Amino acid sequence: MTSFDSEWSAILVVILAGFLPTEVWRSLAIVAGRRLQEGSEVLQWVRAVATALLAAVVARLIFVPTGMLVEAPLWLRLACVASGLAAFFAVRRSVFAGVLVGEVVLIGGAWMLVP
Amino acid sequence: MSSLAAPHSDRSTAGWFLHGARTSLSVPGLVLLAGYVGYGGLLQAVGFPFFAGLVSTLLIWALPAQLILIGGLATGSGLVATALAVTLSSLRLLPMVVSIAPYLRGTRRNTAVELLCAHFVAMTVWVEGQRLLPKTPVEGRVPFVLGLGTALIGISLIGTGGGFIMAGELPKHLAIGLLLLTPLSFSILMVRGASGITDWVALALGFFTTPFVAGLSGGMDLMLSGLGGGTLAYIVGRMARRRR
Repeated sequence: MTSFDSEWSAILVVILAGFLPTEVWRSLAIVAGRRLQEGSEVLQWVRAVATALLAAVVARLIFVPTGMLVEAPLWLRLACVASGLAAFFAVRRSVFAGVLVGEVVLIGGAWMLVP
Repeated sequence: MSSLAAPHSDRSTAGWFLHGARTSLSVPGLVLLAGYVGYGGLLQAVGFPFFAGLVSTLLIWALPAQLILIGGLATGSGLVATALAVTLSSLRLLPMVVSIAPYLRGTRRNTAVELLCAHFVAMTVWVEGQRLLPKTPVEGRVPFVLGLGTALIGISLIGTGGGFIMAGELPKHLAIGLLLLTPLSFSILMVRGASGITDWVALALGFFTTPFVAGLSGGMDLMLSGLGGGTLAYIVGRMARRRR
């Protein structure tokens, strides 16, 4: 972590390796996306790709965990998401209910399984 | 998707900005706060400086990209490889901004304002925008997004700083719960936002192909699951539409 010795070098890293690689796509979408009309075939495709990419990023966080999450077994992580989704549908499509139930399952499970 | 036409506005520009800011005080805003508390904890754990961490939230404003940046640097992936991984991960923002851009054009074309609005587009603004912008009058859409985005980034900065400060104080089981909060809430929000066969196939392929491609390096896993899965979902949806 030698590049993090100072705030300024870390901010430079954030700009070069984080901000620019992200903002380029947002800007490109505005500049190049102008000719696209809502409901067009190209938009349907980019929307599908956006959805699948996001699902993949989320799945990565669940299947390939980082930090403390490694200590919770995969089946418990999946049970957490499954119970959260079940609660979301059961309680009038409430996001809050889904998140709450999923977290209770995960933290409760971790309490019993992880020393 | 619904039409661009919408009812006439009964709010001023400032009124729509405040309405957008108020909209941030919701479950997605709370979930974002919690997700950034987890991110702040990670920053502290890997020894990233405090203010640079806050700058990352303000400027990158996409939690998956931020996680890849910090995770990559912390595990010694090197600056160039990490920047490439962030570039590939943030590609998902291109179609997201493209699909929401027709709502960000306002009544008069202004590229600077459009670019500012685009900066706010990440998971939460995209999902809430897809849901609320079709119902918002044309003249209210830009101030609504600016208000919503500004407030959400403010909430996220509080989360990043708060998480950084309280990291290490949290018991292990709660720390586990905090780290899975982001994927859990994103899963639920994506399911809520899904409509039509294309969305469902894209969600399923993106999610369930990930464990099989997770070993691939250089962002190839995201390309296969995201680009491949999304394209396949588009083809399936197109075939279903043709049959009707």
